[in-house]
Amino acid sequence: MSDPTTPGPGPVPAAAAAADVQGMTVVARTQAQMVRRRFFRHRAAMGGLIALLLIVLLAFSSIGFANVPGWWDKDYWSIATVENGGRPTLSVIPTWLGGSGVHLGEHPFGQDNVGKDYFALTMRGVQQSITIAFIVGIVGTVIGTLVGATAGYFRGRVEAVLMRFTDVMITIPLLVVAAVLGRRYGDSGIVVLGLVIGLVTWTNLARLVRGEFLALREKEFVEAARAAGTSARRIIVKHMLPNIIGVIIVSATLAVAAAILLEAALSFLGFGVRDPDTSLGRLISLYQSAFSTRPWLFWFPGVFIIAIALSVNFIGDGLRDAFDPRQNRVRD
Amino acid sequence: MTTPGMPIGSPLPDPAAGQGGLDQPAVTESAAEVHVATKLEETSGPGQTEVLRVEDLTVSFPTDDGLVRAVRGVSYAVHEREVLGIVGESGSGKSVSSMAVMGLLPKSARIAGKILYRGDDLLKKSPKQQRALRGKKIAMIFQDPMTALNPVYSIGDQLAEAVLSHEIMPRKQALARAEDMLALVGIPQPKKRLDNYPHEFSGGMRQRAMIAMAVINNPDVIIADEPTTALDVTVQAQILETLVQVKDEVNAAIVLITHDLGVVAGMAHRVLVMYAGKPVEIAETDRIFYQPRMPYTAGLLGSIPALESGGSGSRLRPIVGTPPSLINLPKGCPFSPRCPLATDVCHESEPALEPTDELGHVAACHHWDQLADVDDPTVFFRTESEAV
Amino acid sequence: MLVFIVRRVIVSFFILLAATFVMYLLTANAGNPLGDLQESRAPNREALIEARIRLLNLDTPAPLRYFIWLKGAAGCLAPFVFECDLGQSVQGQDVSALLGVAFTQTLQLVIAATVLAMILGITVGIVTALRQYSGLDYTVTFSAFLFFSLPIFWVAVLLKEYGAIRFNDWLGDPTVPIGVAVVLGVVSGLFWMIVISGDRTRRLTTFAAAFVASAGALWLLSETQWFADPGLGVVVIAVTAVGLAFLTTALVAGFTYRNVLYAALASAGVGIVCHFALDSVLDDPSAMIIVLLALVTVAVGVGLGYALGGLQRRQAIQAAVLTGLGTGALLFLDRLLGAWDTYSDRVSGRVIATIGARTPNFQGTFWEEGLDRATHLILPTIAIVLISFATYTRYTRSSMLEVLNQDYVRTARSKGLAERGVVVKHAFRNAMIPITTLMAFDFAGVLSGAVITENVFGWTGLGKLFTDALTRVDPNPVMGFFLIAGAAAVVFNMLADIAYAFLDPRIRLS
Ligand SMILES: Nc1ncnc2c1ncn2[C@@H]1O[C@H](COP(=O)(O)OP(=O)(O)OP(=O)(O)O)[C@@H](O)[C@H]1O
Ligand code: SF4
Ligand SMILES: [Mg+2]
Repeated sequence: MSDPTTPGPGPVPAAAAAADVQGMTVVARTQAQMVRRRFFRHRAAMGGLIALLLIVLLAFSSIGFANVPGWWDKDYWSIATVENGGRPTLSVIPTWLGGSGVHLGEHPFGQDNVGKDYFALTMRGVQQSITIAFIVGIVGTVIGTLVGATAGYFRGRVEAVLMRFTDVMITIPLLVVAAVLGRRYGDSGIVVLGLVIGLVTWTNLARLVRGEFLALREKEFVEAARAAGTSARRIIVKHMLPNIIGVIIVSATLAVAAAILLEAALSFLGFGVRDPDTSLGRLISLYQSAFSTRPWLFWFPGVFIIAIALSVNFIGDGLRDAFDPRQNRVRD
Repeated sequence: MTTPGMPIGSPLPDPAAGQGGLDQPAVTESAAEVHVATKLEETSGPGQTEVLRVEDLTVSFPTDDGLVRAVRGVSYAVHEREVLGIVGESGSGKSVSSMAVMGLLPKSARIAGKILYRGDDLLKKSPKQQRALRGKKIAMIFQDPMTALNPVYSIGDQLAEAVLSHEIMPRKQALARAEDMLALVGIPQPKKRLDNYPHEFSGGMRQRAMIAMAVINNPDVIIADEPTTALDVTVQAQILETLVQVKDEVNAAIVLITHDLGVVAGMAHRVLVMYAGKPVEIAETDRIFYQPRMPYTAGLLGSIPALESGGSGSRLRPIVGTPPSLINLPKGCPFSPRCPLATDVCHESEPALEPTDELGHVAACHHWDQLADVDDPTVFFRTESEAV
Repeated sequence: MLVFIVRRVIVSFFILLAATFVMYLLTANAGNPLGDLQESRAPNREALIEARIRLLNLDTPAPLRYFIWLKGAAGCLAPFVFECDLGQSVQGQDVSALLGVAFTQTLQLVIAATVLAMILGITVGIVTALRQYSGLDYTVTFSAFLFFSLPIFWVAVLLKEYGAIRFNDWLGDPTVPIGVAVVLGVVSGLFWMIVISGDRTRRLTTFAAAFVASAGALWLLSETQWFADPGLGVVVIAVTAVGLAFLTTALVAGFTYRNVLYAALASAGVGIVCHFALDSVLDDPSAMIIVLLALVTVAVGVGLGYALGGLQRRQAIQAAVLTGLGTGALLFLDRLLGAWDTYSDRVSGRVIATIGARTPNFQGTFWEEGLDRATHLILPTIAIVLISFATYTRYTRSSMLEVLNQDYVRTARSKGLAERGVVVKHAFRNAMIPITTLMAFDFAGVLSGAVITENVFGWTGLGKLFTDALTRVDPNPVMGFFLIAGAAAVVFNMLADIAYAFLDPRIRLS
């Protein structure tokens, strides 16, 4: 006869808990795998990723960085004689198609009005723009996550203070505060510029993270961890953040894309990177009036800005789809 | 079987009360389309006229991972005032088959077969003609009343809209009808409640409102897709009672989809059991409960806690294993990996729905006769120690 | 509700106060306002420095100086009781006066563009959501990504070159060569093919029809020298107005019940009659008259809808009013184009402007001046629309998709409601709730968004005021600009909250 006390098919509570923990890690891993799989299947995102990597590789390997020399033999500051009206020597049409063959030539992107090599200048611009954008993206993401997580986890007075402060910062339009900061720190080098701009771009993420944390806070596993006396820092870092990593990563990516354009806008207005250094926005700003006479001075940096921003935006879109496929499906 | 008023807590129909409307089942030529003809002894019993007939309905969805064959040949018929229960595990295709009847499947769905409303094939009708029947002749009640009503419009608005979608009339008149319907489903102060928004209603009241919306145009068929799953137990019974009352009021048939055999026992005249997109057993309710001819049905019965039929304790005996993937269905009987009676033939060929030892009782199992040989079919699903 | 609003207003006020303080410190730190003088060689350098220190209170530390500024700014709250004093620029101009002039310019620049971007973006967003994974969807998605990866100043340079300089050159001899007409026809064919989509035959017919229509129209317009003196003509207006009547009817009611259509058609008819009847009034009207006519149009629409609407009175009124306003806009456009000829002569053929808000010292009839504004607005408007349009499409699309997935949309379909009702009444109404927030945010950010546009297109609005002052290290105009931009941000965020509460009954009550 059956004995209700012997462990039959029904699991006992302890075993259930163990199974649950195992189940959770398994779920977590497959989740990460699914995300990765969905991301790699996202064609636009993969295209964006490859394009971005190529651009970064090109910019940093060609003219080198810090003290590492690159494979391109010209630098972005030496003045030279302007040859052939500074026209680009880059050719991509092979001879058998009636072109002049595939070659870079002396000045592939041409020369500016004082004879500087425009390829080197553009590459330098790409380096600076990307560096600033990543610094801004990282700093903004870290601060936004910290503020939002702290506010959402501790609630009460901490939350009130932090979120009111966020409200205040959100009131100041980003371009305005960035311009004011750029006016002050623009000539202190791009790292400082990136840092200070990053200091003011965290507000939206902070609100987002706080919202997610408020919801997560009520979940059983968080309450269980708290009941078990786990420290707040550990709960936040180990239990809660991994659950909203998708939100954070997507937001960080889009922040980088926005920062590329923000830096360009600031430099264009004269509040970003200053002479003698350069950035893509500054190049466009300098040569916008040369458009009808020497359009390449305008096209090359512009195309690079767009390519970078577009790539990063596509990557962000792919990540969003990968983390939250629900968003893009519809029943009918 | 008179259903209203029957306590829902007891999973089995009271045999004494059950015999009323359902004697003398008759069988049509095709075994798969068996239905029960009944005498019109009680108003609540099923009538003669067939209102909805589904023939060999298949639905599949192309997805990234392959073709999901969600419904693989469903046939049934319902008559006036009849309640047909459809039971089956999650994912067995219950909702998809009824959404096909409503014409509400996503555009990606591939649908084949026939859906006959009073003899007309809905699948052959234009979208406009389909729309004219939807909500007017065939109405649907959904599982979750919390999300099924639009949060930004008042209850009155949403009820009136159901009327105005099919008839042009002054709003006032439509609202008056809405008020009548709210009264019918037992919402107090219906006039005042018309102006309420869904969030001002409790879950049970929202489901009542959904029922009111479903019957407001006097439909012939009401498809109720798990109408009580999202509600708490005490409210469930009231809602089912309301549903039956309302059905009699408007003379509609009900297709009642549920996981809960208790609900079926209390309400349905006949039951269709689905497994992996196919009906695997159709019979009148008593037969399903006392003489199932398909191991899967027996397994479902074995997992009802209150069913005390083998002398063993009230331990849950879930069917082990999971339903097969609908993308790569294994050869043979889809239930064979989980079936205690499975033999080689089961792994080789898929059984068709065929008549069993009783008229009007069809089952898809090679070994249904083995179930007929034992007193308690759930015995096959017991663990060794219990089965002694 | 009232308590909610009042509380929200108070909170907003303090947020703005705190933001001005932060901003004041940042601005004070942005550079040295005495820099230019300290480097100058003027003989009276010391005196000049002394004067500026006094003008800007530079001898007071910045946090304290803020309160001096605040005292003056507080006067702006009650402009008739106190004096509104936002300090002076380094040149000694009154900042509040500077702001007043610049503000109107900026509003002119951004309002039309923002509204246009919203309407376009939301419409396209809805259509792409309804046709998810169609060619149209992919095309729009890609364009949206491209557009919000574009630096606006870069687009602006291109627009100036191709939209103004070369376009004006072309207007000197406005003929479309056959080759160009064919190419444009192909482009238009592809465009419509993507928009319409469907099976292959349908696509091919669409392509062919669009190709023939566009290339033919271009050729015809070129042959008839239409570009030299464009206009719509009564036939085009009439056809478009009738089309509008059908479109609005389709949107608000559908065609099962004809009364709505009759009301809309009547409204279009009245509009066309007015084209002739009001001929003399419209020769050189004042803005007042136009506003009056718009009001009359609304009234007539309401009347027609009421009289002809029958059982669908409400929908009929909506359709009639919308059709009436649309027809009115067509008539307006026609008149504006009517002034093209004379306007073109007066600006020696350079019709599309690249710089500024108006041609300096230009005076003419209502229509000529209107056209002058329009031709100055067109390029910056395109630039702004291109970029914010993308955000709206993406946002609307995902919001619509989200809503279309909701159970209540399925319920609406299960009632037998027509698809139009499902989309417009159930899906769109709910999708609008988050979109409203975006719109409010957008309006809040519009002023700062104008900073770049104004700089590129040489508009002397708030944005230009801000950048110029910031370059010179002139703190008071910077703060003045921020006061307006910040106040706009706060006010619109507040409006977003209130609108949210109105749109969502769940919030309304709590
Ligand atoms: N749009 C779709 N695309 C792909 N597969 C689908 C789609 N809709 C349903 N399915 C699949 O069809 C199968 C049957 O689903 P259905 O909703 O009918 O199950 P059910 O019997 O109603 O289950 P439940 O009891 O959980 O409601 C499921 O495996 C489901 O994943
Ligand atoms: S056919 Fe075989 S496997 Fe399938 S249910 Fe019957 S006995 Fe079990
Ligand atoms: Mg279901």
